[in-house]
Amino acid sequence: MADKLPLSLTINGVAHELAVAPERTLLEVLREELRAMGTKRGCDQGSCGACMVLVDGEPVFSCLSLAVKLRGRAITTIEGVEQGRELHPVQRALVQHGAVQCGFCMSGIVLTAKALLDRNPRPTVDEIRHALGSNVCRCSGYAKIVEAIASLSEPPGPALPEGGRS
Amino acid sequence: MRYAEPETVEEGVSLLAATEQARCLAGGASLVAMMHAGQVAPPMLISLHRIPELSTITEAADGIWLGAMVRHRTVASDVRLRGAMEVVRSAAGQLAHPAIRNMATIGGSVGLADPSTELPVALVAAAARVEIAGPRGRRIVPIEELFVDRFKTSLARGELVTRIFVPQGLSEAVGHHLRFSRVSGDYPTVSISLVLTLEGDTCRQARVAVGSCGPVPLHVDAADQRLVGSRLAEEDVAEAGRILAHAAVPMDDVRGTAEYRRMLIPRLLGRALSLAREHAHG
Repeated sequence: MADKLPLSLTINGVAHELAVAPERTLLEVLREELRAMGTKRGCDQGSCGACMVLVDGEPVFSCLSLAVKLRGRAITTIEGVEQGRELHPVQRALVQHGAVQCGFCMSGIVLTAKALLDRNPRPTVDEIRHALGSNVCRCSGYAKIVEAIASLSEPPGPALPEGGRS
Repeated sequence: MRYAEPETVEEGVSLLAATEQARCLAGGASLVAMMHAGQVAPPMLISLHRIPELSTITEAADGIWLGAMVRHRTVASDVRLRGAMEVVRSAAGQLAHPAIRNMATIGGSVGLADPSTELPVALVAAAARVEIAGPRGRRIVPIEELFVDRFKTSLARGELVTRIFVPQGLSEAVGHHLRFSRVSGDYPTVSISLVLTLEGDTCRQARVAVGSCGPVPLHVDAADQRLVGSRLAEEDVAEAGRILAHAAVPMDDVRGTAEYRRMLIPRLLGRALSLAREHAHG
């Protein structure tokens, strides 16, 4: 077992003082050290998007991010997006549109959508589909997910053509 | 596993030279995935993210230097990469998917030398040069000299890629990257990068590289020469495509058989040339 390194990580605005072996990923630290289970482990290969978090506001895979590299960065996980006891508007829209089925992909999708809307409050359906390119959902076929996110575009995005993920 | 975060290139080089099998960590998008899959188990990782010079982009009189730690996302949005250099921007904006482009770096792509990724292909088409730092100082080599085999570069022990020079090429040149993949976001079955200069409808200069069709990006002078001087008519493109398909040594894998890939090369070349031609005629 490799030696642990002292590490301060800022997660959802809170600084955590940890001791972490250098090969540990952020995903492992979140789930196994901090017992924050909202971030999911899917493929561990950067292919599925279930483990997605935001680092300085941009979507990245926590399964491919060594925790020690993230010193000084602002990490946002799904636990950090609710405002008070209120769901984030993206979460509300996904629920309202019936876009949530098994839910395993949702942490990543909520964070991807949040990052997109923070950067671009008026994404087109095409931009939404491109932004979701890193998130796999095996239940929904994506149509309702894209619809839900488009409903938050200001003004709301145009009606969705037939078909799911591009 | 040991871990270090050097703050200068020289410090990085001496760490790298001191530990056998030590690996540089760039964005981690491939290396960490390979560690998870048990394909590599480096005794030491040297993360390069605290070395400021590796993240810089510098304009020169005849091209642009991209620091090794510049991420694909940044390359994809840098509009100074135009003309011939656009082939690199075009590839960086299309490869993999958004979260990977947020993590992965150009130096990481070059150092990994994965034959199915696309930046090496685009850099070969762009005739890029690579600056390498090692225990005996720095040297600059044409990118094609760097790629020697699947996942294998000519970097010696203790050497690392510091930056990559993308030449601006001829003034009328255009660059384009075309990928063919089963679904958006997958590795390409075949990809084509090209730089093209037209005079009217006549091809004055061409440089074509093919990805996912051999151990290193495929570039054949004879194919380029077959296009130069032609009007890129159907038979010219077909013949250049045949030269490339003949030189290709693709593998069978889940994305396609070797035979299928050979069949794709001329077709994709035609499509890529049409797109580049439209681009050139604005």
